[in-house]
Amino acid sequence: MNGSPTVGQSLPRADSRAKVTGEARYAVDHVLADMLHGAVVRSTRAHAIIESIDKAAALAIPGVVGVVAGADLGSLFPRFGHLIADHPVLAIDKVNYMGEPVALVLGETLHAAHDGADAVIVDYSDLPVLGDIATALEDDAVLIHPETYPAGDAAFEEAITEPRNDNVAHEASIEWGDIAAAFEEADVVVTTSVKYPKLYAYAMEPYNALSIVNDEGIDVVTTAQHPFMVRDDLARMFSLPLAKVRVRSPVLGGGYGSKSYTKIEPLASVGSWYSGRPVKVALSAEEAIYTTRADSAHITVRSGFDSAGKLLAREFEILMDTGAYTDNGTLVLAKCVNRCFGPYETPNLKVHGRAVFTNTVASSSYRGFGAPQGNLAGELNMDQAAERLGIDPLELRKLNILPPGGTIVPGKRGLDADLGADLDIVTSTLDWGSESQHMTGSGFGVSASDAGAYPVSTAQVRVLVDGSVLVMTGATEMGQGSKTVLAQIAAHELGVDLAKVQIVQSDTGSTPYERTTGASRTTVLVGLAVQRACQDALGKLESMAAETFGVSPTEIKTAEGTVVAPGTGEWPYAEVVRSWFGARSGEVTGVGLVRATGELEMLPPFWEVGTVGVTVSVDCDTGRVSVDHLVTVGDVGFAINPTLVEGQDLGASTQGLGAALYEELIYDGGQLENPNLVEYRVPHATDMPARIDTIVVERGDGVGPYGAKGAGEGTLNPMGGAVAAAVGRAIGRWPTELPLTAERVWLLMNEEGRGLNGED
Amino acid sequence: MTAESAIEITTFVNGTEQSGYVPARATVAEYLRDDLGLTGTKTSCEMEVCGVCSVLVDGRPVSACAALAADLDGTTVTTVEGLAEEGRLSHLQQAFIEKSAAQCGFCTPGFLIMATALLAANPDPTRHEIAEYLDGNICRCTGYRPIIEAVELAATRMRESA
Amino acid sequence: MSVLPPFALHRPQSVDEALGLISFDDMPLGGGTELLLAMRMRVLRPDTLVNLKQLDELKSIRLDGSDLVIGGGVTHLAASESALVAEHLPILPKVLLEVGNPRVRASGTLAGNLVFAEPKSDVIPILLALDARVHLRSASGSRQMTIDEFIIGPYYCAREPEELLTEIRIPTAGIARAVYLKYQTMERPTVGVAALDMERDGTERRRVVIGAVAETPTLLDFAPGDQIDGAAIAATIEPIPDIAGSARYKRHVTGVYIDRAVAALDAERP
Repeated sequence: MNGSPTVGQSLPRADSRAKVTGEARYAVDHVLADMLHGAVVRSTRAHAIIESIDKAAALAIPGVVGVVAGADLGSLFPRFGHLIADHPVLAIDKVNYMGEPVALVLGETLHAAHDGADAVIVDYSDLPVLGDIATALEDDAVLIHPETYPAGDAAFEEAITEPRNDNVAHEASIEWGDIAAAFEEADVVVTTSVKYPKLYAYAMEPYNALSIVNDEGIDVVTTAQHPFMVRDDLARMFSLPLAKVRVRSPVLGGGYGSKSYTKIEPLASVGSWYSGRPVKVALSAEEAIYTTRADSAHITVRSGFDSAGKLLAREFEILMDTGAYTDNGTLVLAKCVNRCFGPYETPNLKVHGRAVFTNTVASSSYRGFGAPQGNLAGELNMDQAAERLGIDPLELRKLNILPPGGTIVPGKRGLDADLGADLDIVTSTLDWGSESQHMTGSGFGVSASDAGAYPVSTAQVRVLVDGSVLVMTGATEMGQGSKTVLAQIAAHELGVDLAKVQIVQSDTGSTPYERTTGASRTTVLVGLAVQRACQDALGKLESMAAETFGVSPTEIKTAEGTVVAPGTGEWPYAEVVRSWFGARSGEVTGVGLVRATGELEMLPPFWEVGTVGVTVSVDCDTGRVSVDHLVTVGDVGFAINPTLVEGQDLGASTQGLGAALYEELIYDGGQLENPNLVEYRVPHATDMPARIDTIVVERGDGVGPYGAKGAGEGTLNPMGGAVAAAVGRAIGRWPTELPLTAERVWLLMNEEGRGLNGED
Repeated sequence: MTAESAIEITTFVNGTEQSGYVPARATVAEYLRDDLGLTGTKTSCEMEVCGVCSVLVDGRPVSACAALAADLDGTTVTTVEGLAEEGRLSHLQQAFIEKSAAQCGFCTPGFLIMATALLAANPDPTRHEIAEYLDGNICRCTGYRPIIEAVELAATRMRESA
Repeated sequence: MSVLPPFALHRPQSVDEALGLISFDDMPLGGGTELLLAMRMRVLRPDTLVNLKQLDELKSIRLDGSDLVIGGGVTHLAASESALVAEHLPILPKVLLEVGNPRVRASGTLAGNLVFAEPKSDVIPILLALDARVHLRSASGSRQMTIDEFIIGPYYCAREPEELLTEIRIPTAGIARAVYLKYQTMERPTVGVAALDMERDGTERRRVVIGAVAETPTLLDFAPGDQIDGAAIAATIEPIPDIAGSARYKRHVTGVYIDRAVAALDAERP
């Protein structure tokens, strides 16, 4: 490490000027003069056979160039999916949810394309609609997927590809010890049953892509978080080598997991393949809602304690509604199974989860990824147990919380955080234990997620002939601040001015491989790759200086943007480059590779932890909940940019508040009742707590650069449980279902025969 | 379906006169983005509740997704690209940078435009008044606190420099 | 992104010219905050829009005797900023600042809210409470009616396709005090309650109007000093159940907000 510390500083975001002037170019801002616009014809049925598609009226509209349907895909492999390739680009023979793409109308103008889409006539024969889990699991339920599909990426071992004779999409479990015996011994057994809603991430830039398919291959500009994963899907669809598929993700207008994996890119690419012209498909927010959502969950947990409050055993049964296609549902379920029981010493455990296909929008990744669902059950259960045991809920948690290094899951990395200390920070900031006023209550919670950040990352650092630096990474900037943080790391490692560092991101044709941008991985894994690339570049500069200036390599070191040979000379990087090449040109490239070896051999690379607390007040007449105080602890090891960490923590906890209080996609059978931002209400400015404390804790306990761990999801995960507990304490009854809308709270307050205890 | 008419308009956008024909159904957002290439103005909810497409027309805030380009005839329009003067950022833009009020940045143009309208009408708003006025704009990244703090900071600086 | 369906656009230069153009399929376009949204959702597909925005004769706010007369093209923002309105009808700007968001207020008009007969309106209940009358003109004549006569049902009013709502006439005399309270958890009010102490036809009365919760607003008059029981009144309301709440819950909060509005009105007494 050289130079003044550019890490650990709240430096302004590298992209902020472009974002306040309107110059930042998002995918949706990319156009080509000769491009066509694609408008999607969507299914008006939830489950039906497509009898016919009449394109004639659409094709008669001036400016409509073509109409593509599933049957027109000919030689292409017509499906995508990184786990199981079950998702048709355009429905083939049958639609599985309302809003599913059935045809793509190509028009010279956006207006023509949409007029054409309005004019396409699709004739359906209805099938029984499996609108919810119960219906889908009935003995005589029809199968949404009677056939099997090829597996996607072989790296995902969790995917089930064997045929089943029911609508269970995925099943996962984890077990150790002997829970039957442990429950026998338990003095107190507490059962909690909760429901978590279906959610829409609402990244404000709806999915869009501009694709060119021609003899050169495919070139797509899109809203993908994981351009390399999208590349793989497109290569299979079009039978192309990976090198012929270029996927670029410029600045993303939000992601939060919802832009993980392939979404809109096949549609635009099929349009271009069909027409021979570049095609842009830009969805509306309503269409984005019909593209992906987060799983709802129904979870029952039973925990056994001894009389002193030590956990003896826990058993979880999880049911998730995963919608019409696999997408990433398999992994979300697997993670929910791993994340529901939390960072407690649990000698005996059994978790069983099933995700069920229904005729609803396919669920996929969303910030927290199974953790918010599982944590609501696990943490509310701890609160109810505390009440039953007569132990303060903070004390009960601290009695059972794992110490730093403790084993959450056998065979996985030990806990790299001090959660007991984090709980103390949250509760003392909340003033936990002080007398609460009428109709107010506090709640708090803790979570630990095995970060799904598989350590495969590559980065390049190019030291240019003028001494400025290009950092090449396949990691995507979607608002989280990777462009800034990676620049800070590179500037620090090379000892150069931050203003001389430029980050180039997310282009499968020019930036090095990055597996994904998700699971809060970028700071840790890409940060390490950038660090290693910098070291590689410095090593090369030292060798070149030694060779050029005739110094012994052992005498040379680098500092402050120069190569130094004490007593002999000092040469700025630029001079080393110019002199070595001898042509006043050239550059030096350092390469950084990260894989699961050394410190990263043990998975997960880090535990993404979260500790939060809230104080709420409830309007006793209406049941409306206001959040008066929010406390978040970002236990990140080392904050390379503290302001960005606080921004992630408040943003994540605000989305958690949304799920806790307002947000829910409501289905009536196969019909989505609220596919718009008027009826799907996300938090607004006036919903925010009067007092907010975002606390960053740095204990240097991560494997990432300078001891950093990932951030961005942790403070969402325990929000649902914390809010539910706070509302429960305010009204004297434990909630069982999110979101806690005013009506739901009012009903709970006025329900007969329910005590505060969840056991009744 | 009737024949669509094309309407001739002349409007001043960020200080530059623009003349041309627009389809009757073209929205202000389509006109700014597709005809003028002013892509700083975004669209999202298309139902007038997210505020991403906010622009000023004759100084008043308008949802560009729900206003006709034809109605711009004879008006003065300010978009996010027009907030900086000769490359000098406005107080609001500068404060948004300093307070880290933009994360993904997709909502930022709309917030800047609405905050510009607010401070023109009310140079010294309370935090509550800021939140109330900006309640018709959604930000999904920040949790709003940095945005409200940025507006407060800009208001203070504008009053001091006035 | 979605688009508007195709239509032709007329830009008449006078109200008389506009009246010659409008019909069932040729609809007047005011602020557009509701009409363009309905068109984007393909709920309405007019052949022609007759743009009223450039008609200054619809934008006046004036006092006629003790009546405040608000033109059919006056926006919520313009009315809320009017010194005349603030002086003679101070409750109105307070209510108008509760409408939608600042963009909707800057484009949307009071008349537009009325002709859409938006059931979840903040504006219609207060206009009903104030005994406002609407003035409708067509090429063949004009007529006036009360808000009660005008609002027939949700999204259904007495305007004929050939008519324009050119003026809203609001008596300003006799209003001692007025409040408007609403309960809103989504983008539109769940219930809005206007409560006024006023004198009409030589009689002092306390008036309560309940809006947004049922298909049409309800107006109730009480004698001064009458006990007003929110829950009992709410029991007579037929709420529309929707995503903001069940009928049972909406009835309950209606009772709560009637009581709160009446208490707020009492608190205004000198």
